[in-house]
Amino acid sequence: MNASDQPEGPWAEALRMFARNPSAIAGMLMLSVVLLVTLAGPWLVGADPFEIIAAPMTPPFSDEAILGTDYLGRDVLTTLVYGGRATLLVGAVAALLSVSIGITLGALAGYYGGRVDAVLMRVTEFFQVLPALLFAMVVVTLFSPTLLTITLAIGIVSWTGTARLTRAEFMKYRNLEFVRAERAIGASHARILWRVILPNALPPLIVSATLAIGSAILFEAGLSFLGLGDQNRMSWGLMIGASRQYVLSCWWAVAFPGAAIFVTVLAVSLIGDGLNDALNPKLRER
Amino acid sequence: MLKLVASRLVQGLALVLAVVVLNFVLVHAAPGDPVETIAGASGGMDEKLQAELRAQYGLDRPLPVQLGIYLGKVARGDLGYSYFFNLPVSSLIGERVPATLALVLTSVLAAFLTGTTLGVLSSRRPNGALSQTINVLSLVGFSAPVFWLGMLLVILLASVFPVFPVSGMRNIASDGRGVADVIDVLYHLVLPAFTLGLVYLAQYSRLSRAAMLDVLGADYIRTARAKGLSERKVFYKHALRNAVLPVVTILGLQFGNVLAGAIVVETVFNWPGLGRLAYESVLRRDYPTILGVLLFSSVVVIVMNQLTDLCYRLIDPRIKTT
Amino acid sequence: MNLLNFSRRNALALALLAGLPAVHSLAATDTPTRGGTLVLGSTQALRHVNGAVQSGIATAVPSTQIFASPLRFDDKWNAQPYLAEKWSLAADGKSLTLNLRKGAVFHDGKPITSEDVAFSIMAIKANHPFTTMMGPVEKVETPDPYTAIIRMSAPHPAIVLAMSPALCPILPKHIYGDGTDLKVHPRNSTDVVGSGPFRLTEFKAGQRLVLERFDKFFLAGKPYLDKIIVNINPDSNSLLLGLERGEIQMIPYATNSTELKRVAANPALNLTNKGFDGIGAINWLAFNTAKKPLNDVNVRKAIAMTIDKKFISKALHGGFSQPADGPIVAGSPFAIPDLITYPLDLKKAAEMLDAAGYKAGADGERFKLTIDYLPGQDEQQKNVAEYIRAQLKKVGVMVDVRASADFPAWAKRMATHDFDLSMDVVFNWGDPIIGVHRTYLSTNIRPIVWTNTQSYNNPKVDELLNTAGGLLDPTKRKAYYATFQKIVTDELPIHFINNTPYHTASSKKVMNVPTTVWGPASPYDEVYLK
Repeated sequence: MNASDQPEGPWAEALRMFARNPSAIAGMLMLSVVLLVTLAGPWLVGADPFEIIAAPMTPPFSDEAILGTDYLGRDVLTTLVYGGRATLLVGAVAALLSVSIGITLGALAGYYGGRVDAVLMRVTEFFQVLPALLFAMVVVTLFSPTLLTITLAIGIVSWTGTARLTRAEFMKYRNLEFVRAERAIGASHARILWRVILPNALPPLIVSATLAIGSAILFEAGLSFLGLGDQNRMSWGLMIGASRQYVLSCWWAVAFPGAAIFVTVLAVSLIGDGLNDALNPKLRER
Repeated sequence: MLKLVASRLVQGLALVLAVVVLNFVLVHAAPGDPVETIAGASGGMDEKLQAELRAQYGLDRPLPVQLGIYLGKVARGDLGYSYFFNLPVSSLIGERVPATLALVLTSVLAAFLTGTTLGVLSSRRPNGALSQTINVLSLVGFSAPVFWLGMLLVILLASVFPVFPVSGMRNIASDGRGVADVIDVLYHLVLPAFTLGLVYLAQYSRLSRAAMLDVLGADYIRTARAKGLSERKVFYKHALRNAVLPVVTILGLQFGNVLAGAIVVETVFNWPGLGRLAYESVLRRDYPTILGVLLFSSVVVIVMNQLTDLCYRLIDPRIKTT
Repeated sequence: MNLLNFSRRNALALALLAGLPAVHSLAATDTPTRGGTLVLGSTQALRHVNGAVQSGIATAVPSTQIFASPLRFDDKWNAQPYLAEKWSLAADGKSLTLNLRKGAVFHDGKPITSEDVAFSIMAIKANHPFTTMMGPVEKVETPDPYTAIIRMSAPHPAIVLAMSPALCPILPKHIYGDGTDLKVHPRNSTDVVGSGPFRLTEFKAGQRLVLERFDKFFLAGKPYLDKIIVNINPDSNSLLLGLERGEIQMIPYATNSTELKRVAANPALNLTNKGFDGIGAINWLAFNTAKKPLNDVNVRKAIAMTIDKKFISKALHGGFSQPADGPIVAGSPFAIPDLITYPLDLKKAAEMLDAAGYKAGADGERFKLTIDYLPGQDEQQKNVAEYIRAQLKKVGVMVDVRASADFPAWAKRMATHDFDLSMDVVFNWGDPIIGVHRTYLSTNIRPIVWTNTQSYNNPKVDELLNTAGGLLDPTKRKAYYATFQKIVTDELPIHFINNTPYHTASSKKVMNVPTTVWGPASPYDEVYLK
């Protein structure tokens, strides 16, 4: 064996496996399209999504509006393009929030064990027992639905899964040789937690984070559908909820935004799945 | 054993208490109050009447006092009276629980059975076409917003092709009795249960697939194979039995998510269940009902968690107490 | 024609009819058939059925079936006998004598007497949200079991209308007079003992109500219906489907234009907009005149000129609503035709804003405003608010549409005057004293929703309203109200947009659909199914 035959590092290997996975690639493509439309779309389309451009409930594939208009006469395509922003923003930030909380609490619980673990586990159990959607609804209603309150509400109820996962991982790692070696040479707890263990424990957490984005998007859509979204920002869930009354005459105002959510979450899930396969050593043997 | 049950009981109660206190504080700490809702719902009410109502409901007392009174009542099983309906919260909940139960049990069980079967099948040949298809299909069920699916189903199967009823749990004019009623309810149950079930289906199929793959890689499976047992026997007799365990665990723990999924489906299909009651109560600032439902669902989750945990221990003696 | 909506029952009926020889068309003098169940659809959950302590159409519909009232009204605002066989308003207008019919009983068999009438009227005065309705009533004398004399401190022309089924349910004193606060009385929804044509036999909170015929109702032979079921479903779409499929026979207070179109196009269904003059619902844009720049009437007028009411009625309401130009609904005897209007004129609006001192900045923006709206009635409220936002943008006024998650949030904003503009829908309730005065009297600027939340203060208007409120002669009253309407449409504390297009959608099988001034909020004792 010479130098050029060195085994590739775990990250490179994972990347290669990911690239070979057709559904993961499909997911990446879909997500790219969604991101492109969402970020660049508003510039290209230019219009105001709240503006009335044609007669209410014009069917799709008509001259005035390619995807039709909703019950007010607003262009479905425009609202679709703008709606992505709020949905993705909330999804990403809420997922970030929930994952951050989850990792922090899980890491502390798994690493320290004992009393700390017991207390943190009680807290986790508490939030797990709370009916998430209902609690989020209560929070959002009471403090007025804005993008901020919605993001916070979703983040606060969604972290328990990540916490448990992180805890399990950190428990696994804290007794391993190289960690004990770090302790022996006097490394601080903080360093061990964040610089030593976390990078190793990252793979399953990345997967979890990806899936968290998907579920945060669905959560936001659900809240908006129930009428608890930020009414001043167009979001896909909001469109569906607003057009709900007219669904029998104007199905396109419900079908298209729903399809957008579906495609986005599917893309994220496929990517998450792909990452899971790529980073999960057990499946490599098959 | 008894000690375990007792300690778990205490833990459970402490949790319930924490939930109640948190929700109580939250619900009372925010702007807007139920007397204003009632005032609006009554068509406007002058200050004198509003003050009377506030005194009636004890809303003019300091928060800790209100909390204390509420906890005392809850301890006696009294969940108070709904501000909106002026009916006991416990009877409002009691009226709605059967509907939600019917919906949730049907969808979860159907999803569990179908999903597990699909997942197990797909784990036979994990990289085969069938497996990939099932995987992607379950992802579809997982990624589509529940309310969107529900509405599309309603359009397709209740409006364009009026095969199923559009909403509700029974025929409007029905009496609600007898075999005919059971059939009526089942007929109305199809679309909502299917919608709710799709999400769980996806979860179970993925879960059981992962669990099977996990188990199939274990040492004792390799030993069984080495011993010369047929692949069939290895797969169904040894692997499946052990893979089912985590899936069943999740089934028990699922009940935490039950209310959430139910809220949306019940709203789309106007199903007269607890989820819809909860949602409408939030919009009406009907505090006692909101608290009652939160409490009820938390208790259910805690009980299910503990039961699942105990069953898990009984089944698998290798698990140590944490 | 949607063949897919043809239920099998319809098909069968059609087949049978086809086999029959040509029959005479059913004339209005046909004898009503007794029996059958009428299923009503409603989108609003109701708290209970006691209309004495609760206003609103959701409660009024069942309340008017369960409780009778002294008088009822026809479609021309004429009072008709109901519990009272005769009545007379004294010449000085300070007392109303009601002569009750004999032999009327409550649902538990006990006789209905003047004691119950006295009790009910005083209870309504004490508990009903409409304080002006029984405001001047001081006491009710009961010289004998069948005579009640309502004594008032001042002439009160609205008192006769206040005897309507929706406003004056007669409660049994022996049940409700037990000292419990009527607003939270347990008998408001359970074991209800009433005086009307139907008894309440089931109350599933938020789901449905079942009413059954009261056999000993004081109008012999009535009601014709065996049962009425009120089905509550917040989704008006589903109610419509139910109506189309024959599961529901009547939807009162339908407003959604898409649904109204479908009903109108369906040969098996009837649609009527008669029966809503009594409640007189107006959809309007309220200005907070205490806030800059809305304190300037020219700014308000300019804003009014950016709004095209015809577009709103045609495009947003499918042609089913009519533009409203004043504080009193067109169907009221006090309405006048020539009011000051503000036709669409964006150019003039911009000029007026310039003249008022609010010139556009470099970015084209003059000033910012917020607009709120009543949640839950998107077509009438939210959509109009969003339309207004789009229009005002054209003249450089940037509007932020503030959504309230629920009613209490909106109500609080209005009550605390925390708003610039707000959409609202307010009912006249028949006599201006009941539903109109409250919006314009400067004495009614209070921290409660549906009062003078606009902070409108014009002593002349106060005087006009207070005088009109104390006169008995309708012609004289009309003159005062005419001046009042002219002033209000000139000073514009509120810009009126449209009459809420309430309709009753019903199956053609339903006969005698109530179309009096109170419409569906009246007893259905004469309704029958063909």
